[in-house]
Amino acid sequence: MRIVKITLSSIITIALVYCLNRSWNFGKPIPPLGKFLDPFHGFWQNAERKNQKPTNALVKNLKGEVTVVYDSALIPHIYAANEEDLFFAQGYITASCRLWQMEFQTLAAAGRISEILGPSAIDFDRGQRRLGMVFAAKNSLAEMEKDALLNKVANRYTEGINAYIHSLNYEQLPVEYKLLDYSPEEWTPLKSGLLLKYMAKTLNIGDKDFEMTNALKLFGKEMLDVLYPDNEKVGDPIVDNPNGWKFKPVTLDGVAPTTSPEIVQINPLEKSSPDVGSNNWAVSGSKTASGSPILCNDPHLELNLPSIWFIIHLNAPGYNAMGASLPGSPCVISGFNDSIAWGETNAQRDLVDWYKIKFKDNTKNEYLSDNQWKHSNKVIEKIIVKGKEPFYDTVVYTHHGPVTYDESFHGDSQKNHYAFRWVAHDSSKELLSFYLLNKSNNHSDYLKALDHYSSPAQNFVFACTNGDIAMRIQGKYPVRRKEEGKFVLDGTQTSNEWQAFIPNDQNVMYKNPIRGFVSSANQYPVDETYPYYVTSTSYEAYRNRRINQRLSEMNKITPHDMMSLQADNYNLKASESLPTWLTMLDQTKLNAIEKNVFEKLKSWDFYNNINSEGASYYEAWLRSILPMIWDEMKTSKVMLDFPTTYTTIKLIKEKPGLSFFDIQSTPEKETAVDVVRKSFSEGVAEIEKWKKEHGNQEPSWAVFKDSYIQHLARLEPFSYHVLHGGNNSLVNAHGKRNGPSWRMVVSLEKTGVKAWGVYPGGQSGNPGSAFYGNMINTWSADRYLNMHFNSSVEQMQNFSFAHQTLKSEK
Amino acid sequence: MKLLFQILSTIVGCFIAQTFLPWWTMAIVAFVFGYYFNLSSGLSFLAGFLSVGLLWLVKAFYIDITTQSILTEKINKLMPLNVFVLMIIVGGLVGGFAALTGTILKGKKQPRYY
Repeated sequence: MRIVKITLSSIITIALVYCLNRSWNFGKPIPPLGKFLDPFHGFWQNAERKNQKPTNALVKNLKGEVTVVYDSALIPHIYAANEEDLFFAQGYITASCRLWQMEFQTLAAAGRISEILGPSAIDFDRGQRRLGMVFAAKNSLAEMEKDALLNKVANRYTEGINAYIHSLNYEQLPVEYKLLDYSPEEWTPLKSGLLLKYMAKTLNIGDKDFEMTNALKLFGKEMLDVLYPDNEKVGDPIVDNPNGWKFKPVTLDGVAPTTSPEIVQINPLEKSSPDVGSNNWAVSGSKTASGSPILCNDPHLELNLPSIWFIIHLNAPGYNAMGASLPGSPCVISGFNDSIAWGETNAQRDLVDWYKIKFKDNTKNEYLSDNQWKHSNKVIEKIIVKGKEPFYDTVVYTHHGPVTYDESFHGDSQKNHYAFRWVAHDSSKELLSFYLLNKSNNHSDYLKALDHYSSPAQNFVFACTNGDIAMRIQGKYPVRRKEEGKFVLDGTQTSNEWQAFIPNDQNVMYKNPIRGFVSSANQYPVDETYPYYVTSTSYEAYRNRRINQRLSEMNKITPHDMMSLQADNYNLKASESLPTWLTMLDQTKLNAIEKNVFEKLKSWDFYNNINSEGASYYEAWLRSILPMIWDEMKTSKVMLDFPTTYTTIKLIKEKPGLSFFDIQSTPEKETAVDVVRKSFSEGVAEIEKWKKEHGNQEPSWAVFKDSYIQHLARLEPFSYHVLHGGNNSLVNAHGKRNGPSWRMVVSLEKTGVKAWGVYPGGQSGNPGSAFYGNMINTWSADRYLNMHFNSSVEQMQNFSFAHQTLKSEK
Repeated sequence: MKLLFQILSTIVGCFIAQTFLPWWTMAIVAFVFGYYFNLSSGLSFLAGFLSVGLLWLVKAFYIDITTQSILTEKINKLMPLNVFVLMIIVGGLVGGFAALTGTILKGKKQPRYY
């Protein structure tokens, strides 16, 4: 009897310890409760006191001593004796604030999320592998390893991160590791490469080749050009330099390949939001109060926590740069130094093509290219799945790139295979560009730095303390014949492939234009005299015009004026569409509620401010009218893309009889007027419903918009709802999930560069730190932090929250 | 009295063990004192449960106060139960069963001291 008792009791004890020492998944993941809740080692140890300061550290491999001064926003100002120590410290410090995020983003890039989250992520991971993300990062890594300088920068950064990882024990691990029950692995330069490919995927993978191919078959070429023009011809291009292109362009023989109209039935991978975009501009001293140039940048990305940006100041002899860095990549990405400032916006262009592949047989060992059978290369991708057996996926590589879509992945019944050609697959050295930008002193340094930059293509704005301002659209751009690359291509003809790239010195750029400012906001890049064919999924039509209009009007500009412009909530789209739509309504047929809304809209000043109700009603109307007009595309069984809102609004005005205005589900034949009326009632009804669900409050814009900054692992308690004005296609481009992810204003005064910046997040990635989300309220109040850009530790004395030294252990 | 001693010893032992070693070492400590004091099964379980539960509660409570609940509030929303309650149950059960196992292993009942 006693034996039974002993056995039973021991088994229960051991089983309890075992069960509480590992994670489980019962539909919902459960952390290892014993480990996790233990106050000596578990999550409690991640809670930080308000004044908790970073501690000094002994590390291996430092040449000298590094001093880090943290200011009151926990921005590290790193002072090192040489660049090797500087990049080591950047790696160490960034990891100490953002380790979990750095690793998670690179795991996502590499298609390894199933390792952490389990089977639900397999489809995502397969997609990443089939897009060739690791293939792309490896190509760039090989190129980087050939460059001694770059190799040093990347390796020192890596060593710094690893020194931090090795210093950790379980209780110091970021809380997400404890929750999801895994631990960090060694950092490698490949991971930094993966991060840049992750950015490339966010910014430069946009394409609608499949959608356009389907639209061509369904609507015909003439209608296609009405619905999806290459250039909407609205506002000024980024660089307006008519007849200023004095070079001999590269030309390709022959005409663009013709596409045989066909239907593509694949189920595409999730695309990044079309609202990802950015603003940047620089005004010359002739327009500012101080007489010195001012440069501004605000990249609009999906807003997540921990934030995509980490503010850092890097100082060593010959190196003094500050601004926003990407955790996982060395150097400053959008920032300034003693002489210059620079910033980026996304440079949309078609950098993706899809080739239909003809395999010899089911083995897919050979495929046709110019009447020859070429050998394919098969890569077996092993996807490790938490709590399950690994998943194996065979990805077939052709010389175009990986076959992303086939019968086993998002494919159609016809067993078609589509290979993916993407500019980011090619080897490149972006990191060198950023390193050189960080150290640039003038315009010619900036140009030299950008010569190494391929992807993701960006509009690089520039300003210098000597008074120069400039813009350069830099990326690796294939030379395209007219219409080339808009549709799915025949992969059996090499004449369909990319044959040349635009030489760097023929990319779109200019310096010190007469108008006294340069600006970009993802609009059409260049005037029509530029000798290369330019196309993209779409170009921005509103923000850029508002910015240029304001910059043209403004004089004696102060940094404060620039901050107000970054926060500008004027809704140009509404001002151009709403008055027409209102006249199209039949006021005699409106019910009492609709009449009231009509009056509200009529008196709305077109500003999407926090309390504006007009903004909410307009947005509801817009959300209702777009799918009502393009119902043919929404209900189609094959994938199609809506035309842009700009084109839609224009068509309502100019072609009210267009067949698309007819609503398919009704027997009547509708015109634009009917659709406007119907969608108005629908929009009003939507808001009435919203009001009922929200305690009958009036729909003030910020509450209705309900902006959300989400934790990367989608954990609700680690995320924030934010009340803020703005919207997509406004200068203050803060929509529901996307927005200005970093705001920077730099005044390039000869007596010293002054700068201000802010982002919706905090320097610490730890949800248990007071610095996790502390900048969100500053940001949403459209206020900024002073970037204390001092070149010595002594000058930082008054702004210091904490001092930290990194010393070599010996 | 013996109950109190077992509780105090287990708390001190667990505190030392956990400061340096993983969480489950508290089970070994609870087991050892369960064996040593050799109370009745029920009392030994109670001692183990209370010792670990109390130690964890005090430690967690101290962290919670000094950090103004900055993380507790967030983790609370991720857990099916209040984290303090859940923590006491988790720690207490392991401590309790470990102490119980110790007592049963020793076997021969000593007379009780009240």
